[in-house]
Amino acid sequence: MAAFRLSDPSDAPTDRDLIDRTLAGDGAAYGTLVERFQRKIYRVAWAILRDDVEADTVTQDTFVQAYTSLSRFEGRSELETWLTRIAINRSRDSLRRKKFVSLFSSRDDDDEPAAMIEPVDDRPDPERQILSSQLRVAIQRAERQLSSQQKVIFRLRHYENLSLEDIAEHLGLRAGTVRAHLFRAIHKVRKELASWRTQGAANETL
Amino acid sequence: MKHFSEADLLETYYTQPGESMPVMMHLAECGECASRYERLERKVRGLAACEHDKPETFWARQRISILRKVQTRRSPALAKYAAAAAIVLALGGVFAVRVDESASRRVDETPIATTASLDDSAARRLDDSDPWQSEELKDLQPVVAWESWVDAETKNGDKSL
Repeated sequence: MAAFRLSDPSDAPTDRDLIDRTLAGDGAAYGTLVERFQRKIYRVAWAILRDDVEADTVTQDTFVQAYTSLSRFEGRSELETWLTRIAINRSRDSLRRKKFVSLFSSRDDDDEPAAMIEPVDDRPDPERQILSSQLRVAIQRAERQLSSQQKVIFRLRHYENLSLEDIAEHLGLRAGTVRAHLFRAIHKVRKELASWRTQGAANETL
Repeated sequence: MKHFSEADLLETYYTQPGESMPVMMHLAECGECASRYERLERKVRGLAACEHDKPETFWARQRISILRKVQTRRSPALAKYAAAAAIVLALGGVFAVRVDESASRRVDETPIATTASLDDSAARRLDDSDPWQSEELKDLQPVVAWESWVDAETKNGDKSL
């Protein structure tokens, strides 16, 4: 919907207008709202789930759920915040389901490649490239050891760069709780980094 | 001066400590650590960069799919309202018929109730008088008296009878 806004920002209907029109039975108005926020919602879902198909499903479910509850939306927060909250909750449910299913299968709950070290190329600082990849691997390995809640919090912080206050608001938690979860998550990343360091990586290359 | 490790800086990046925290105060003073922190920040941001730029067709397909689902939700909602209205009407009709029936039954039952109450009072009157004094039972009175005597004796403790 960014294009829509850019084309004529003064005429762009507000979220409230579109909600009212949707509630009055105007399906096209809801289409406009979807277009306005679908990218953001997809990005949040993807940041948590790290899976295209699941992020797509969560995005669609989010908008369907929002539609059915739209009459109860009181406008105390921005529509975007409300949608994001729904998306985060759905993503978290999806993560928990995955974790539960993984208990009964030999499959890991995060089927991400174990090693993602990129080949050394002739770019200026190949060593730095490798270490950057190792940092990514350390983060991925650490993520696998996190609970669903920790994972959601860490991923929102890492991939979406949300502040602790925003994460707390979206999840309905206190900032202190979010910070505690984040500390645990980072502790695991640090442990992974420590094992990487003992393998011979130099601190200076950061 | 003690410098912070990259793990410390990473933690700093994620947890956004306040300006008063030692690590932040150190970063404000130490150019070396500040530049390492900047590099680390760039690196982490680079790793987390959006990897899911999708073509416009993807968003259009997703939008159509959402609106279809919404449409199917909307139709059952209308059907639900219609069904609810039908149930309310049906219940209202049943209630109206019941009220009507009970009213007419009350009218029908009134004389029966009067007859019943008359019968009751007649029976009560018969109970009050001695039935053996009636013409029909006069001949049976000795037998009944004997029976009464047997009964009285039993009551007096002759359990063998």
